[in-house]
Amino acid sequence: MTEARAPIAEPAALALVGKEIAFPEGLLGFPDDRRYRLGRFSGAAENDSPFFILQAVERDLSFPLIHPDLVMHDYRVAVNPAILAALKAESESVLVPFLIVTVRERVEDITVNLQGPLLINTVALLGRQLVLEEYPVRYPLIQPEPHP
Amino acid sequence: MLILSRRVGESVTIGNDIVVKIVSLSGNQIRLGITAPREVRVLREEIFETMQAENRAAANPSDPARRLEDAHQRLRKKIQERADD
Repeated sequence: MTEARAPIAEPAALALVGKEIAFPEGLLGFPDDRRYRLGRFSGAAENDSPFFILQAVERDLSFPLIHPDLVMHDYRVAVNPAILAALKAESESVLVPFLIVTVRERVEDITVNLQGPLLINTVALLGRQLVLEEYPVRYPLIQPEPHP
Repeated sequence: MLILSRRVGESVTIGNDIVVKIVSLSGNQIRLGITAPREVRVLREEIFETMQAENRAAANPSDPARRLEDAHQRLRKKIQERADD
């Protein structure tokens, strides 16, 4: 199975910007916040930031997101029939994954949650947080440069 | 807390459609078999708590504009490599 890859953000991810997305179960720890809007994080000069913002519709609650491709090359979200059913998706092709970014003071300390990706159905505008126990919860966003 | 005694092979039902079965017992370890509707999330408690804590840590970051812009600068090289692939 091949997966499409693109720089910065997948077209499917960009197409979700401005859309309202329902998370019927909320996110873990936030069961009562079920409606969000996806925004593009605006970079300095040109709007080319790889970050997105998931903003709750009903209150001031937001999560920075990034597409997994910029974090881990071979990151895989295993989709089973139960997940497809929960997201009302007929196939994997309508699903886009995002990772939640935990922002910290030092850029080297910023981590992404590989264990709890968000999976969004781009057609039904439905989302769910998955739990993939094989991946870490805190994975450094900036990987150390490999030494030559 | 409701406390019940069960033998290996016996089950407990919760609501109409959740069944928890004692599959096996070995020392202080118990294997459970859980049958639940697919929309019901079943997790080990420590995983559930870790995930809740991480989501809370990620919510409403302070000064995201500056910090994420810094991170973006650091990621530029990687982004460029992706674009060149």
